[in-house]
Amino acid sequence: MTTNIAKGFVVNHPIAMVWENLTNPEKIVNCVPGASLTETVDENNYKGKVSLKFGPVKAGYDGLITFLERDAATHKMVLKGLGDDEKGKGNAEMNMTGILTEEADGQTNVNVSMDITITGMLAQFGSRLITDVSNTVFDQFVGNFKDQLDGKEAGDNSISAGSMMGSMVKGIFGGNKS
Amino acid sequence: MIECKTSKAISGMGHSMKRKEDGRFLHGQGNYVDDIKLPDMLYMDIVRSPYAYAKIKNIDSTAALAIPGVLAVITGKDLEQYNLHWMPTLMSDTQMVLPTDTVMYQAQEVCAVIATSRYAARDGREAVKVSYEVMKPVIDPYKAMDASAPVLRTDKEGKKDNHIWHWEAGQKERTEKIFAEAEVVVKEQMHIPRIHVSSIETCGCVADYHKVNNQLNMYMTTQAPHAIRTVIALVAGHVGLTEEKIRVISPDIGGGFGGKVPVYPGYVIAIAASFLIGQPVKWIEDRSENLQADSFARDYHITAEMAGTKDGKILATRFKILADHGYTDASANPSKFPTGMFSIGTGSYDYDTSFMECDAVYTNKPPGGVAYRCSFRVTEAVHAIERITDRFSLEIGKDPADVRMQNFIKKEDFPWKSPMGWEYDSGDYHAGLKLAMDTVDYWGLRKKQAEMRKEGKLMGIGISTFTEIVGAGPSKDFDILGIKMFDSAEIRVHPTGKAIARFGTKSQGQGHETTYAQIIAEVLGIPAENIQVEEGDTDTAPYGLGTYASRSTPTAGAAAAVAARKLKDKARKIAAYLLEVSEEDLEWEPGKFFVKGAPEKVKTIQEIVFASYTNFPQGMEAGFEATHYYDPPNLTFPSGAYICVVEVDKETGAIDVKRFVAIDDCGNIINPMIVQGQVHGGLTQGIAPAMYEELIYDEDGNILNGTLMDYLVPTAVESPSWETGHTVTPSPHHPIGAKGVGESPTVGAPPAIANAIVDALSPYGITHMEIPITPFKVWKALKEKGVV
Repeated sequence: MTTNIAKGFVVNHPIAMVWENLTNPEKIVNCVPGASLTETVDENNYKGKVSLKFGPVKAGYDGLITFLERDAATHKMVLKGLGDDEKGKGNAEMNMTGILTEEADGQTNVNVSMDITITGMLAQFGSRLITDVSNTVFDQFVGNFKDQLDGKEAGDNSISAGSMMGSMVKGIFGGNKS
Repeated sequence: MIECKTSKAISGMGHSMKRKEDGRFLHGQGNYVDDIKLPDMLYMDIVRSPYAYAKIKNIDSTAALAIPGVLAVITGKDLEQYNLHWMPTLMSDTQMVLPTDTVMYQAQEVCAVIATSRYAARDGREAVKVSYEVMKPVIDPYKAMDASAPVLRTDKEGKKDNHIWHWEAGQKERTEKIFAEAEVVVKEQMHIPRIHVSSIETCGCVADYHKVNNQLNMYMTTQAPHAIRTVIALVAGHVGLTEEKIRVISPDIGGGFGGKVPVYPGYVIAIAASFLIGQPVKWIEDRSENLQADSFARDYHITAEMAGTKDGKILATRFKILADHGYTDASANPSKFPTGMFSIGTGSYDYDTSFMECDAVYTNKPPGGVAYRCSFRVTEAVHAIERITDRFSLEIGKDPADVRMQNFIKKEDFPWKSPMGWEYDSGDYHAGLKLAMDTVDYWGLRKKQAEMRKEGKLMGIGISTFTEIVGAGPSKDFDILGIKMFDSAEIRVHPTGKAIARFGTKSQGQGHETTYAQIIAEVLGIPAENIQVEEGDTDTAPYGLGTYASRSTPTAGAAAAVAARKLKDKARKIAAYLLEVSEEDLEWEPGKFFVKGAPEKVKTIQEIVFASYTNFPQGMEAGFEATHYYDPPNLTFPSGAYICVVEVDKETGAIDVKRFVAIDDCGNIINPMIVQGQVHGGLTQGIAPAMYEELIYDEDGNILNGTLMDYLVPTAVESPSWETGHTVTPSPHHPIGAKGVGESPTVGAPPAIANAIVDALSPYGITHMEIPITPFKVWKALKEKGVV
């Protein structure tokens, strides 16, 4: 199943700096919840890992990340991520397009759209959650990215959708939120 | 009230005798396959494919085999050495047991882990690493028919497309002519969704092979133990497992509904594992495996059309079907009927022209097409005819009850030959619908509906007046893999007048231990409580084709009656001998023979049986036993008139079933309480596809509701209060006039519900809703019409 997320946000940094951070694999991967780089294949191809928990379902993907396009003139980048579940229980594919536009006062508008396709166990058990989880992961990514641009230490980039769901459920049913 | 010929002490037909089997179930003493524990028993778990279509690049079992207790990982390549990696389906197609190179649907078996405990087997399953090369699957059956679609069954030599077979029946040219000239023609496209039986007990087995004796004891969840024994002998004969060395035991079964008719790969792998290792191997599916991989039911895409006159006379029908069979045609139909009994789809109506055709296709979905509480595609057919009849009524502006009354086959016209060649045995459709309408106060409801509509409230009344076709079947037409669909009964009465009776069928909750005993009690006068009924062990029971498609009462129930009559004939001879009169001078009263005009000269059946062992006439065979293999002369045709009343909330689309009246006619009733229980269960399994259940696949072949969290099986909360009743029109050809009832409500309920909901929405121009009709679908339809 495929989920599409398209979001825009504005950062208080000049476009050149944002572009450098967005297209640098080492930097960007630090912002992706649950992700880490394991190997640089060449300047456009990188190997990495992503781990996610959807309630009872744990997924760990070994993946290949490829920059299909990095156009500094138009500030457009297209990135493809392909991952196989470590235990052969499925795979995931992500196509992401990022476009930067310069705003007034040294601000930069970041527009990102992502298509995430998952197959296998996660699709079977987590299909109802994918959109919510993807949105949460994306928001967390945006927070981390902003923090990095601001020079703050990137926060804990691990995520557990299970714990996230727990807090959602507590929120709905008025449980103890502390 | 049902008239009883026997006393309550005897409890023959018509008595609501409490179920004899319930004692052990209520005390937790049932013996299901997972209760079976044998010495040195091993456990099997199955690694399944996450992909709908992929090549297997490698199976790495190193980590699994390193887990303490894991003994073996069995792959398709291992089975290939013994030519056990594939098996025939009931429709003579082929199916992988384990793949050697390609997986064809998500959740397909990839390899099996054998371990000393269930936990080790599951840990081993998680540790097996399989790498795949994923391919783009074919999921949409219409796209599967495209010339550009990839050919899925490359294992079948010369296969150039995904088409399985074409079937057609009826009067093609005459149908076309009537449709071309008719005053009124209506047409709707309908999908009868892919659903699952979801029995409480999943499938499983214990395969117990003894090397020294070359004997296989196979304990398994099967509705047809004898057929399975023969299939195992056919599949595994070449490795030395011949039929006399195979004993299939079907213990207590926790619901079958057709899902326990097929042979699943898990059974075969367990047999192979036990054969190779020499120890018993237990395999029990978990809930999601059951839902995702076992045979589905339905999945027919139907274009339904009806032609008629403006004043309501039905002239002809036309049905065009696309059947999505998944990876292989593993339906459980009789051989000659690839679409099962779909041709009952001309319905309860008196017209002589119809044409039906079906094309079956392969897709990357699990195989199946089981008769889920339905006599082989009858549910699909009944939905099509009952929906299109309502559509026709709507088109001409006539009440659907009136249109039905106008077109029903009349009571006096039975036996009635349908345009598709079936001979309907008996029926009184007018009486059934009238009783249903009186029960629900139909015309009062129509008035109430008009008032509610004025207030902008959505209320709908739906009717379904179906004809069923069950009791497969007469040997001239019906076989499975060549074996004729008779069934059998063997009765042995012990010297003290108590009996054991064995059958070729297998109860999965139908109450055979009670109803078969009642049939014998009816004929012989031996109290039903003194008749032990046994099924499911191929070493002891006479050969039969099993229990599904409401066939047990029409076939094995008839066999019981005929075998009991043979014994009654013998009893009369012995009584005449004991009373020293001629047979003609004897009169029968349930449980005893007495001399006409001298009721004090009497011999009870118990005395007669005792004499058959102790004091029988010279030349007579000793003992009191009889066997009968019953080959039915015709099918039986139960019917029903169902009326459903719903209210629909405009804002939320929520559907509230206010009333549901079900009048069934299953001929003579053996046990009214059991019939009512069957009807309640069947109606609940009818509301399921109408409002809740559908197995949903995305374009990559992922099942999106592969757990009971997402696949909505109705519970007591969703079930309305069922109001049941009956008319009795005995089958003229069945020995006890019974017809079968188990599947009628599942067949008849969905169109009643769909018709009620469409009726509620019809003021806004809505003419059809696809089942399952969910609140979202209703809300969306109303939104499209600008109502909300």
